Amino acid sequence: MSGQDRRFNKKMQEKLVALFLIVLLAFVGLSIRLISITRDNGEQYKKQVLSQQKYESTIIPFKRGDILDSKGNKLASSEKVYNLVIDSKNMLRKEEYLDATMSALTQCFSEFNETDVRQYINANPSSQYYVTLKQLTYDEIAPFVELMNDTKNNPDIKGVWFEEEYKRVYPNNELACDVIGFTGKDNVGSYGLEQYYNDTLNGVNGREYGYLSEDETLERTVIPSSDGYNIVTTIDGNVQQIVEKYLYEFNEQYKNAARAGNGANNTGCIIMDVNSGEILAMASYPCFNLNDPRNTDALLGSRFVNDKGRIEYEANSITEENMAELLPDDVSIYQNLNYMWKNFCISNTYEPGSVAKPFTVAAGLESGRMTGNEYYTCNGQLHVGDHDIKCHNYKLGGDGTLSVQEAVEKSCNVALMLMGRQIGKTTFLEYQEKFNFGLKTNIDLYGESRTNTLVFNEKNMGETELATSTFGQGYNVTMIQMITAFASLVNGGYYYEPHVVKRITAPDGSTVKNISPRVLKQTVSAATSAKIVQYCNGVVVNGTGKTARPAGYAIGGKTGTAETIPRDKRNYVVSFMGYAPADNPQIAIYVVVDRPNAVYQDDAKYATRIVRSILTEVLPYMNIYMTEELSEKELAELEELDITIKHPAMEEDETGEEGEGTAEETEDVMDANGGDITSSTRPTDEEMQSDNVETAPLTGAIFNIETGQPVSEADENDPE
Amino acid sequence: MTRNNRIPKTKGYIDYTLIFIILLLLGFGLIMVYSTSSYEASMSQALHNNAAYYLNKQAFATIFGLGAMFVVALLPYHIWEKVAAIGYGVSVVLILLVLTPLGMEINGARRWLNLGISLQPAEISKLAMIIFLASLVVRLGGKISTRRGFLTVLAVPLPICFLVWVVTQNLSSAIIIFSIGFIMLFVASPDYKKFILLALGGIILAALAVFVVVQLSHTSFFGYRGQRIRTWLDPEAYASDTGFQTLQALYAIGSGGLFGKGLGQSTQKLGFVPEAQNDMIFSIICEELGLFGGICIIVLFLLMLWRLMLIAVNAPDQFGGLLVAGVMGHIAVQVILNVAVVTNTIPNTGISLPFISYGGSSVMFLLIEMGLVFSVSRSITFIGD
Repeated sequence: MSGQDRRFNKKMQEKLVALFLIVLLAFVGLSIRLISITRDNGEQYKKQVLSQQKYESTIIPFKRGDILDSKGNKLASSEKVYNLVIDSKNMLRKEEYLDATMSALTQCFSEFNETDVRQYINANPSSQYYVTLKQLTYDEIAPFVELMNDTKNNPDIKGVWFEEEYKRVYPNNELACDVIGFTGKDNVGSYGLEQYYNDTLNGVNGREYGYLSEDETLERTVIPSSDGYNIVTTIDGNVQQIVEKYLYEFNEQYKNAARAGNGANNTGCIIMDVNSGEILAMASYPCFNLNDPRNTDALLGSRFVNDKGRIEYEANSITEENMAELLPDDVSIYQNLNYMWKNFCISNTYEPGSVAKPFTVAAGLESGRMTGNEYYTCNGQLHVGDHDIKCHNYKLGGDGTLSVQEAVEKSCNVALMLMGRQIGKTTFLEYQEKFNFGLKTNIDLYGESRTNTLVFNEKNMGETELATSTFGQGYNVTMIQMITAFASLVNGGYYYEPHVVKRITAPDGSTVKNISPRVLKQTVSAATSAKIVQYCNGVVVNGTGKTARPAGYAIGGKTGTAETIPRDKRNYVVSFMGYAPADNPQIAIYVVVDRPNAVYQDDAKYATRIVRSILTEVLPYMNIYMTEELSEKELAELEELDITIKHPAMEEDETGEEGEGTAEETEDVMDANGGDITSSTRPTDEEMQSDNVETAPLTGAIFNIETGQPVSEADENDPE
Repeated sequence: MTRNNRIPKTKGYIDYTLIFIILLLLGFGLIMVYSTSSYEASMSQALHNNAAYYLNKQAFATIFGLGAMFVVALLPYHIWEKVAAIGYGVSVVLILLVLTPLGMEINGARRWLNLGISLQPAEISKLAMIIFLASLVVRLGGKISTRRGFLTVLAVPLPICFLVWVVTQNLSSAIIIFSIGFIMLFVASPDYKKFILLALGGIILAALAVFVVVQLSHTSFFGYRGQRIRTWLDPEAYASDTGFQTLQALYAIGSGGLFGKGLGQSTQKLGFVPEAQNDMIFSIICEELGLFGGICIIVLFLLMLWRLMLIAVNAPDQFGGLLVAGVMGHIAVQVILNVAVVTNTIPNTGISLPFISYGGSSVMFLLIEMGLVFSVSRSITFIGD
């Protein structure tokens, strides 16, 4: 111890307490000051904070990612556009600024309204932000920017700047409108890929903000925006175009046929790669222009949709004359637009009809309840429960005795009902679920319908329901459910998850994510699959699907003619679901015509003819070799199409086409090394992509006569 | 735990309440440093866009400081009495070293020393001043009540204050060092009258200065200090330059309301309140946690000062008591001045909020000072009631 063991004396203790009291007083004073700031100026400061937020920092918009087709062609992209902003305060700093700037603006922009802007500037001399012209392209503003930057000759152009933003552009207008969907100004996607992949496509806005530097002056810092990811789809723009052309053609042919309006309530088509679940094309008619989705002209010819979102069958179709009356306000207009914007192929549900028959047979074979060697006798009708359920040729006294294959070929309802009895309710329902009926396929598109309440279960399926279900009546499905399950029936039993996007790429082109095909389950064995293929081939060779076969090819499939509402035996959904080639299915195609515009709608040929037209062009395009002999008539038909197909940019296709044209003469040569030829002449994806990306824009890659629209007036010639 | 004003007097007393308050303030400080700095740090290319840059540095200094506090608390505090004079000399040397190549310039101000880690000599001076004055008062004994003794103690901090002000261009630290000396003198001297007169004199002088500046507002006679005073009186008139920081801080406090916008929700820290993690951190606390949060912090500091007072009053000897009184004065002055600046109660000058503001030297030396306090409290002996 250093000897200073004196304790703190009383005086010092007292002083310490005094010190503490002084500090306490100061703290109380500061707290009161804090309270008074919040109480007296709180509201004012709150507003101040909000207002300077706007002024001090400006948003730098990100670029929404592109949507590309499988060959790299742009289906949707965002273009930089410029808004012309007037800064009155700056422009009025000197007298000569105003006139010089006004004359330059008038000179460079034809739409510029000088009197209006002058009026505005006079009325708001302190305004710094007034947008006069919106969404100008770079080319449009370039002359003015040049004038403005030339400060030597034009020193008085002041108080004008350009605000950047992005505008969503769909270069092909209607093409794949259901699949793509559209995007509003705020970068919020509606429908299709634009909505499903909204977050992927969107990036993050950048900011420009002010801060105070050490010497207390305001400086600005820029944080760049980060652009959104691109998505590469499995859609092949050319296949899509072919599909849409023939859906349009169908409509042209049948519109106003039995009643005023479109050729059908809806026509839909999906083409799928059966070995991956990739959607190559998906389209429906009526369609709409993605660059102008709210244009009501697209509604012309459609049935009126009421406030419950359902078609009103008593009402007339929408025409130019009755539009004002039928659609008096925005609410009714949007009811109808919404119905049209929906993707028919995944959103609308309907009873599939006879295209369900292969599934019934497959369930029977796979479960072992049927051997495939059975024979069934059809007398035209079958008594089930309290009903007599008729076969389609009931008037002719039935189909007689049929093998399983003949039952499928002739689409005999009685035989199928007898199979249903053999299979039994529990097994039948078990297979319905295996085929995913009642469940979503989880395709990566917005708006797939849930059908879980639209299928039967153990409780509500009676004898009659089982009987009608065997031929596809009584339960509801979506197109995508049907074709996905059907692809598994013909590809050896593998149920692939259907998908539209195969790759997500960063703005610099690097791959962020590859989406590879995903097998979800095995629905049937390879043996059952082979039998179904055999039966479905028979449908096209001998049965109801003859008219679906394109020239030069063997395909398989199944027709469907389903009764639908209003249930008066006059309204039908007709369809054809098939695959090609017949011996080794590569693609599946499904066309549905919902209530064709005809007096007698119950004819599957409305669908099979569309399938035939589409496949006639799509199969050669996909470099699938012809195996069947061509008749004179077919040759002539192909020749006519050849002329249409020819295009200098697609020489590869042209030679391919020629090779196929002569295929019938050199069939044995092809058989000898067909496989090799296929693999060596068919360009890989990468080759095609690099070929197409820059040189051949999507429009006109195949149809040089066309105007770039998938549906055009130029194609009036009927293929048949 | 405590019954009345007395601390249970057993040898080796550990003030857990004080430990708790320190840890609470440090933890809260780290959260607020992250909240206020992460946005700007993440935007700064120079900091490699690392949002946690300031947090990491502060956390490192805090851990280091806690270690130092622990060591100092274990040492008997009388050893510092022997090195008091050396400490005074060392702090003078360190301040002068700033002028040599060892000095470091940050944000245009040359206030740091680069000794492996960056160090602010002004912070060391505060600690050295507390120790030196405590030993000086003990040595003076009764002579403190004489005019000569009084003036000696008053004059001792002046050279250091002058050096800090002139060499490191840091008026705020100079004011703090002088205030520490003044407060220790107040505690040590039995007199009241002198202090009341001095305080009154100071207030009159300040009022006079303000009056003159306002009268001469059209000239720049008083340079930028005059400008600061004019800004203080009417920050809105200088909103775009010298009043910017003050006004933005006021906006932050006012817009927070009663309970604030929520932790992390401040908009003022996004570039409006410059370097919000430093001196203006209290305004962001008020914006995010409201009046409630701000006053909670003030109450926490009050509790801390209360504990320090109790330890000083019960200190076993004068030296220990004065040490604690010095620490108490240091913290009190900094808190009062900081909150006063942020609320524009006094003209703007850069003073950090103890334990909460970003600044490694500051938190480290504050923790060492707290170590001294714990060392003193450990020596409190039980005398019985």
